[in-house]
Order: sequence, then structure tokens, then C-alpha cells
Amino acid sequence: MKHKTLSVECQREARRFHLVKDAHWFLRIETANSFIVGIVAVFARCYKCFFWLLSMTWAGSLVQAQAPASSEGYVGSNACKTCHADVWLNFYKNAHYKSIAAGNQPPERTGCESCHGPAKGHVEARGGRTTIPRAFSLMNTARALDTCLTCHSKDLSRSEIRRSSHTQASVVCNNCHSIHKAQTPKLLLARKQNDLCYSCHTGVRAQFSMPFKHRVNEGFMSCTDCHNPHGAQSASWRMGRRPRMVQASADGEQPCLRCHTDKRGPFAFEHPAVRVDGCETCHSPHGSMNPRLLRRPVVFTVCLECHNGASNFGRQGDGIARQTASHNMADPKYQNCTTCHVRIHGSNSDRLFFR
Amino acid sequence: MKNKLASMLLITAGVVAQQPVAPTPETVGRSRGEDVGGYNYTNQFETGYRFRSIGGNFDRYRSDVNYGNGIRLLGSNLTVHSKEGHGKLFDELVLTTLGLGNDPYQHASLRLQHNKFYRYDLTWRLNEYLNPGLTSGGHWLNTRRHLQDHDVTLLPQSSFKFFAGYSRNSQDGPALSTIQIFDSRGDEFPFFSNIDRTQTEYRVGGEASARGFKLIVLRGWQRYEEATSYNRDQVHPGANLTDNTTLTSLRRTEPYDGNTPFWRANLLSEKKTWFAANARMSYAGGRRGYAFDEAVAGTDRFGSARSRQILVSGAGSRPVTSAGFTFSLTPSIRFTLTNHTAFHQVAMNGNGSYQELINSAASFSAFRFQHLGIRSIVNATDASWRASRWIGFYGGYHYSNRRVRSREGESGIGFSDVVTAEQTNRLHAGLGGVRLQPARPVSINLDVEVGRASRPFFPLSERRYHSLGGRIQYKTRTLLLAAATRANYNTNSVSLFTHSARSRNYSFDASWTGKGWLSVDAGYSKLHLDTLTGIAYFASTRLVEGDESIYLSNLHHGHLGVRMNIQKRADFYAGYSRIKDTGDGRSVAAQVGERTGSALVAFRVVQTFPLSYDSPQARLSIRLYDKIRWNLGYQYYRYKEEFLASQFYRAHTGYTSVLWSF
Repeated sequence: MKHKTLSVECQREARRFHLVKDAHWFLRIETANSFIVGIVAVFARCYKCFFWLLSMTWAGSLVQAQAPASSEGYVGSNACKTCHADVWLNFYKNAHYKSIAAGNQPPERTGCESCHGPAKGHVEARGGRTTIPRAFSLMNTARALDTCLTCHSKDLSRSEIRRSSHTQASVVCNNCHSIHKAQTPKLLLARKQNDLCYSCHTGVRAQFSMPFKHRVNEGFMSCTDCHNPHGAQSASWRMGRRPRMVQASADGEQPCLRCHTDKRGPFAFEHPAVRVDGCETCHSPHGSMNPRLLRRPVVFTVCLECHNGASNFGRQGDGIARQTASHNMADPKYQNCTTCHVRIHGSNSDRLFFR
Repeated sequence: MKNKLASMLLITAGVVAQQPVAPTPETVGRSRGEDVGGYNYTNQFETGYRFRSIGGNFDRYRSDVNYGNGIRLLGSNLTVHSKEGHGKLFDELVLTTLGLGNDPYQHASLRLQHNKFYRYDLTWRLNEYLNPGLTSGGHWLNTRRHLQDHDVTLLPQSSFKFFAGYSRNSQDGPALSTIQIFDSRGDEFPFFSNIDRTQTEYRVGGEASARGFKLIVLRGWQRYEEATSYNRDQVHPGANLTDNTTLTSLRRTEPYDGNTPFWRANLLSEKKTWFAANARMSYAGGRRGYAFDEAVAGTDRFGSARSRQILVSGAGSRPVTSAGFTFSLTPSIRFTLTNHTAFHQVAMNGNGSYQELINSAASFSAFRFQHLGIRSIVNATDASWRASRWIGFYGGYHYSNRRVRSREGESGIGFSDVVTAEQTNRLHAGLGGVRLQPARPVSINLDVEVGRASRPFFPLSERRYHSLGGRIQYKTRTLLLAAATRANYNTNSVSLFTHSARSRNYSFDASWTGKGWLSVDAGYSKLHLDTLTGIAYFASTRLVEGDESIYLSNLHHGHLGVRMNIQKRADFYAGYSRIKDTGDGRSVAAQVGERTGSALVAFRVVQTFPLSYDSPQARLSIRLYDKIRWNLGYQYYRYKEEFLASQFYRAHTGYTSVLWSF
């Protein structure tokens, strides 16, 4: 291991520091982050230290880039590109190329070998899929998941991946993501997002083909606007059981309310249907044959199926109030409930949602 | 190599869901891009003209499809990457757009990042939507919604990251609402409003990693406001011409604004792949203040002159607290055990003073308040065991406990009539499944879930339910065959009331990309829904109890797509999508002797609602030069409701465009 002697003179303290460390010391400096160190230096009004520390960071990168490969079977990505030129030629466009460009990652987290494992055996065997320590085409799903989670386990969006419905059904990272043949540059997806989801969720494809639907096929929105395919926290509505894989908003509420802000409230008079069991009480969010994505073709059946006075239900547990005698359901005038109860999602000024 | 890449792109492009006919998914220019300096870039822009010709209900078309005539940038894609990952100002720039300039659905996303220093993500969207409203004309809506999200991450590769974000959501445009005036049997009247609502969000946060732990803290502020104006100055006879009520003038102002500041913190850990933990906590305090002033003048249903003014002011609040903890144990690669506990509490409080003046005399004055508190605790344990390469099992037990507290009251003097209630619903659910892989290309997944709830809040909520599902897939490089089924059953019955819902879905999908120049994608789904619910209502002042609402839907959806590459110069795609609800098979709205859920014909005719929606399309794309393609597309839409001919429309839409790269 190379040893280096570094020194710096701090004018403020009138002292000179001598540091003798190996290459890993530089790496730690890099990891500790030039920004934090820089802030400290700026607050100490010691700009010489600030610039010195920045240069140290870059020096650390250089040392790492020039550091010889360890003896644990890692040969470096340069060895891979000789044979896998087709992969390598475009790899600089891949998000994983950062591990090489950074120049400060240990071999097991750099380039090809960070995912596929130490390649010494593969090189010595002059190729062959079975000599790759981690060949994804030969891995079982659990191992493929573990391999990706080596780096991605602590990403916030993947924090619930171990218990997600996808993982339980053996749908893991490489079922949706294609690292070397991605069709989308941002998320390295094997196909366009909705095509990918439809390939398994065929019933959902049918829902988005209905005349009344959210505009997913049109490109205005995507599945991940509402869902987290890596698994989500328990929903804060509908007994926390369903819907699964739906990503609540940052403030813990239903994702529908992120766009439909007028339904959001808080209202002085809330319609409990919206808050207790969620928007799906009345609506089919993907698509519906009924206007307004309603679960029934006309409004009054949506309302009357709950507002029937059956015991035990509702706020007071004595039944959800049925309509009063002033309503004559034989008269078409009373069959469009929301003609009068216009603020059905919640009202500021009327507990019966008239205004 | 080039051929291999082209084949791969062709294959992946072939098996796609049927999208609107434009933009063209084909690509132009060198797939590897061009090198300039230390950067590589790829780009393509598709500019063209859309046209449409509509027959039938134009508003219905605008609500469902809404593509119009005109020139637009149908789509574009620009990528710039630094070759070595050490760009001076940035390392990656990815810009994609869709429908800019004229389409009703416009989308743009930008990512700009320097590997070491920053990452910036922008998403901008616009949706023009027309809601044709009720058949009586109420609730018509023609608005534009703009959504934008900006996110900046500083030091994205470091152990200490900082992020900031800004989101804005605005909706504006004309709308038509309704008001019912003077008394509960009065007539209803349409009136115009000019919607103007906005929500903005600011967020800042940081992320620190050390010793296998990661702490993420986010602080955000949401602010929302609405300044919609309402008016009606012309005399209107009302929706029901037999009613004497008239409206001569209406003025309403209803401004509100509010804010929701929130905190969110997450602590994540995963050690040596055998243990992972995730804790989170969030708190959002939502507040809203409002005022309402409405003045209407006209005649009541007895023909007497009336004026009414309503003045309301008050406030609403909804603080939300959420917390959760998840840990996962993976003692071996074959076995995973996870436990998730979540706590959620929301307390909704609102109050308002209400004052009503009839003919300038105080007629009614009250103070109203409501409280609705929901506290839920969820604990879910799931285990997954991979017994061998070809078989695995999973199962879980989930427990949820939800307490709902309610208080509401209304009084002009005291609060002697306050109603207070509390109830708790407990749900026990078990689920299990088996995964089979008898051969490498074949995978089978079977699952079952059974749940029992003690006290659901709504008659339609889950009480005694079970769900059965299965999926089988055969997948090779060139062929994908998949079949799936799912059945959901729920019964929620109490004394003298019943609710039963059954849904069964079946689907089959196939895609074949056997030839480099030919690919086929086809599928069929059937979605069956059958619900029976007890209802009660008044008909001519007589209370009807023990009636039933029966809803029956039988949806059939099929799609077929064929894609051909002709002589590596032209690409041709033809697709067809059809969805049809056959209802219960009847061909007229009301039929004597049919299975009926209600004593009222008005109810019976809407319980089944057959309609069909077809959309064939074709697209031709010809490569003129390496960097230029010419495209032509046509798509037809046909919407037909069996019982309501006024909703019918057919639309011919198409486009011609040039796809080019520089």
C-alpha cells in the first residue's frame, strides 16, 4: 500500500500539520464529503484550509483511480471491456457508470464487478456465463434482489421492498429493469413504464382502455405517479390493507389529493367516505365505463348503497343517514344527488354539502 | 452489432400496449449518438399536424379523447452524456417532451446532473379536460391543469446529501355548477364560475449516511388557495319547468386559503443483507380559513318574491401523524421474514358560524362544528420461503385496528345536542401463496387471502371477504404467453341489510417477436362485477325499505397489434382495441320479467349499462434518410351506449409528421 506524506499550514493557527496516511485515508476524506469539511473551514474563516481540503478530495480520487486492484479476485472494469465492447461502448450513459467515474469506490462497488462479482475467474477461464460469480441470467430471484440491494437497500423508495407484493410474487429488480439494454435512460426500465406494468397487470390495461380513465396511455401520467412498485408503507386509509403498493403523499395522505387539490380540504365539514375508506369508495381510479370514474353508472345508486340507514354503520354507528321524505326518488329531479349536494367531497359552509 | 441492436429495438417496440397513434415510437439518427468534445448526444424531434373529424356528441369526444387540429411538437428526445463522467458543468442531460404546443396532454421532463455536485429533475405537465357534466347540464367543466415539480439534490454521491424541491399545481377555466335555492324542494339552477385554484409546495431536506444507517429528514410547506368567482345575472327558469322557483340574480364569493406544513423523517439500515430496518415518522398540520357570502334573488316555489343571503365563516384543520417501523430478517437466501407496524392518526375539526337572511330579515343563525378522528394501527407479518429452485411459499398475517371518534353539533345558544360516538373496527387477514417454476420459462403463482372485519364503517366496506388469484406465464426470448385470474368476494351483512360483491377477472396475453421484422401482441380480458346491496329511499313520501340495488357488469376487452418492418426502411403498425360492457345481456333499458333489483323502474333501468368503445389504428413510418423519417397515422374512435343514443360519437383522428435528428 502506498504511503504519502501531506502537510498543510494553517495561517490562523500558525501551525503546520503533517499527515501520514495510506490511500484509504484519502478515501475517507472523500467519503466524509468535501462539502461538510468546506463548510467547517468557511465558518472558521480559514480559506486556505478550505481549498486545501478540496484539493485533498480530488487527490483522493486520483489515488483511488491509480490504486492497484486488490487481491480478492477483482480485476477492474478495464478487463471487461476488452471482450464486452458492445456493453462498454454505451456504459458511460448508464447511471451505474458513476461508480467508475467517481474513482473513489472500493473495487467491490466499482463498475462491472460491483454487480457481477470479482471477475478473475471469468477472465482466467476466458469467458463463460457460469464463471461469472453473479450472472443475473442464472440467478434465482432472491439472489438477484440481494445483489441490487447491496447498494440500493437504503434508498427511501425501496425501503419496503422486502415485503412488497412484487417481491412475494418473485418479481424482482431485473424483471423490470434492464441495466444494459434499458429503453428509458432515467430509470433503466426494460420497456416504457406502462407497457412494463401492463405485461403482468392485464386487467389494468383493460381499465385504462375504457372511455373514462386517467391519462396514462396518453403519456400525461404514469403508474408511478400513484404507485410505488418497490413496495409502500401501509395505506393510511381503508384499514391499511388496501390498496397495496400505493404511495402516500409526503404528508401521509392519499396520492389522489396531490393532483385533485380541491378535494383535499381540510374542510369544516368532511364527507367521511373520502377520509375513512378513501376515494375508491365511490371511484375506480384506473378507469371505468361510468362517467367520473364512478363505480356505478348513475350517482344515486352510488349514494343510496351507503345512505340506507342500515344499523351499525356510519359516524355514530347507528346507520348512515338515509334521505329525508322531501326526496321523491320517483321524480327524476331527485335522481342526480350532486345537483344539490354539489360539494360532496367536503364543504366549508354546509354540513349537507349544498355549497 | 448494428443489426443486433436494431433487432432488439424492434422487438421491444413491438410488444407495446396500444397508445394513441402519435407520436411515432421509431427512432432516427445513429443509435449511439454523435460525439462532440467530451460529450455524446442523441436527439430526435417529431413535428407534425393532427387532424380530427367528429360525428355525434362532441363534448363526449372531448371528455374521452380530446385531440384537436393543428401543428405541434408531437414528441422529442434529447440526451447529452459526458464520455468520461467528469463533465465541467454537467454529466447528463435528458430532455423528453410530448405533445407540446397544442395537444391536450403535454408533458416534459428534464434531468440535468453533475455526477458529483448536483442533480436537477423537472417534470412539467398540462392537461386540458372537458367534463360534459350531468345530462341536465350541471357540473360542466372545461379547465386546464398545470403541474410542475422541481427537485434539486446536492452532492448526490456523497454521504451527506441535501435536497430542495418546489411543486405547483394550478387549475383554471370556466365551469358550470348548480345551486338549489330557497328550500329543500326548490328548483336547481346552473351558474357559471371561473375556477382559479392553486397549490404550491416547498421542501428542503437532507440525508446522512454513517455506519450502515441512513437518516433522511424532509421539511415541507404546502400552501393552497382558491379565488374562484361565481355569478349569474340573467333570469333562469330552473331545471324543472313545472316548478315556480326562479332565479334572477346570484352573487357568491367563497375565498379560502390554507397551509400544511409537514415533517418527515426516515431512518434506514441494512446490515450484511440479513437484517434491514426502516423507521419513519411524519407530521402534517393542515389548516384552512374560509369565508362564504352568497346572495340570491328570485321567486320561491309558491311564486313569492324572495331574496336570501348566507354568510358563513370559520376554519377547518386536519393534522395528520404517521409513523411506521419495518424490519426484515433474511437469515438465509431462501427465507425472509418481515414485520411492519404502522400508526396513523388524523383529527379533522371544523367549525363555522352560519347566518341566513331571508328578505333581509335574519331567519336562521347557528354555530356548527364537527370532529372526525381516525386512528389506525396496522401490524403485518409476512414470511417467504423458497424451498427449492422450483417451488416457494409465502404467507402472512395482518392485523388492523381502526378507531373512529366523532363529535358533531349545531346550536344557536348552547351545545345540548352534541352527538358523540366512538367505534373500533378490527380486521384480521391471512394470506398465503405458492410460487412454482417447473421449468425455466414457466412460472406459476397462486395466492389466497381471507379477511374478517368486526365493524366496517360503510355498508360497502370489506367485512367477510376472500380473494383468490392465479397467474401462469411462459416466457422465452421470442414468445410470451400469460394467463391470469382473480376473484374477489365480499359479504357485509347486518340485521335486515345485506351487501354482497363478487368480481371475477380473467385475462390472457400473448406476444410474439419471432421474426426481426414481425411482431404480434394480442390479449383478452374479462372483468365481471356483480353486486347486490340493500337500499332504502322515499318514493312519493312513502319510505321504501328492503329494496335491492343490483349492479351487473360484464366487460370484455380485446386488443391486437401487429408490427412490421419492411425492408428496414418502413415500419407499419396496425392495432385494434375494443372494450364492451354487455351488462346482463338485455338490449333495451327496461324489460318486463327480468331479474330486477328495485321496485322502481327508474332504479331498474340503470342497474346494467351496456356500451362499447372501439379504437382501431394504423401507423406508417418511412425512413427517407438516416436522420429523417416521414410518418402517417390514423385512429378511429367509436363510443356507443346502448340505452342513451345522445352520448354516441365517432371520431376520425390522424396525423402526419416528420421525425428528424440533427
